[in-house]
Amino acid sequence: MEKRKSVRPVAFLKKGEDTVVRTQKLTRKKARATERISLTVNGKIHEMEVGTASHQIDPAHTLAHTLRETLGLTGTKVSCDHGACGSCTVLMDGKAVLSCMTLTIECDGKRITTIEGLSDPETGELDPLQQAFVDHTAFQCGFCTPGMIMSAKALLGENPSPTEEEVKEGLSGNFCRCISNYHVVKAVLAASGKGR
Amino acid sequence: MRSFTHINARTLDEAIELLRKYRGRAVLNAGGTDLLSALKGEYLSRYPETVINLKSISGLDYVSEDGGLLRIGALAKLSDIVRSPLVSSGYRVLAEAARSVASPQIRNAATIGGNLCQDIRCWYYRYPRHIGGPVQCARKGSGPCLAVRGDNRYHAIMNSRKCFAVCPSDTAVALAVLDAQVHVSGPEGDRAIAVTDFFGPLANALRSNEIVRKIEVPKVSVSAVQTFLKFTVREPIDFAVVSVASVITREEGVCTDARIALGAVAPGPVRASKAEEMLKGERIDEEMAAQAAEQALAGARPLSKNAYKIEIAKTLVKRAILR
Repeated sequence: MEKRKSVRPVAFLKKGEDTVVRTQKLTRKKARATERISLTVNGKIHEMEVGTASHQIDPAHTLAHTLRETLGLTGTKVSCDHGACGSCTVLMDGKAVLSCMTLTIECDGKRITTIEGLSDPETGELDPLQQAFVDHTAFQCGFCTPGMIMSAKALLGENPSPTEEEVKEGLSGNFCRCISNYHVVKAVLAASGKGR
Repeated sequence: MRSFTHINARTLDEAIELLRKYRGRAVLNAGGTDLLSALKGEYLSRYPETVINLKSISGLDYVSEDGGLLRIGALAKLSDIVRSPLVSSGYRVLAEAARSVASPQIRNAATIGGNLCQDIRCWYYRYPRHIGGPVQCARKGSGPCLAVRGDNRYHAIMNSRKCFAVCPSDTAVALAVLDAQVHVSGPEGDRAIAVTDFFGPLANALRSNEIVRKIEVPKVSVSAVQTFLKFTVREPIDFAVVSVASVITREEGVCTDARIALGAVAPGPVRASKAEEMLKGERIDEEMAAQAAEQALAGARPLSKNAYKIEIAKTLVKRAILR
């Protein structure tokens, strides 16, 4: 999907001036490649280099891409990739944001929580909100579920005992094609109060 | 997305200087909720070489009130505006308009400056490269507006020429009814533009290398009733088919001041000045509201498929007046 910048082979370069130009370009590229960003994902700090090599963060990478492809956290889903479905919702400093509409390079110093970060890392025990989704069978195919749970998590963080209307408003940015929505609202209401 | 270089601007002056240096090859990014769509669809005439991040500029996200003016920094997030007690108590119509934008996640990222400067939603203009685009049109500088002969159900019904797309911003409609001013900074210094003058058929009023700095809203009388109504096809994450904002003051049933703005009907928010004049000094009832609504839409010239928007607009104006 990502197009890489093609590097002109040395043989194509003329002798003399051009070689000098090329060296300068390389130096400039090198200088930029030392730029680093630091992300805290689910409590773990990730120091990443900015650049166009495969192990680096390209300025054009979205947070969803970095989470899934660079860090291997595939719990965050990408569906529409245009900010219209809510599948890629993650928490940034406690607030729900769309990771497909966020550039990773602009997340330097941010604290990100994904669906993988909700369960207890020691015991593996699910977050009360996750358990409520299981108890209320609040999904069918489950593709929208990580986004739903992260939006609900943000809502409960801000408003621990929301009304049904507030739950619907809080989840209005998350779409479900299996119409699990009714069960989701029940699950979130059940988890409220219990879930911190 | 195709690659680009990325620069974090530290000050507004630095951002202006960078825009000048890149001569149209750089774009500004605040919340990113509109820009990233443009970059992914690659429908702009020229893919930017550089993205300049504005979020790295500190102190531009304030919402404050002093000297009878509400001041909102261009980087204030829509969610901050919705939550601000200052806005929801004195400038309710703006809080309601901001709350009607997209979804909670988008409001947590999108800024007021970006909401005003967002690109149009025309489906010809935004047709993505990877499925056969980009489509050339009047707004991109070549050819006619394809909506005129094509599917124009969500396009303009008044004040358009060359490009028939409507202004998609909800906050612009509320700010127009509040007589707000957009303050911009550029290489030639600062200037203020009335919100209604900020939008035009082919582009907004920003000159090259100018950036929106803040929005100033004059105080509204405490007795005024402020209303924002938005008609959409689906409730959340949708742009207005038609929206109406109003600020109406009544004393013992008689209207002493009326301000009405229509949204998503033209390249910018439209003040219904004649309807406003009509209401002043009159007792507001059903019939009066219907006449004012008729007057507000008197200048409408619909395209082939959007005459229905006139009826929706009239109904919303009537409801707003009677609220």
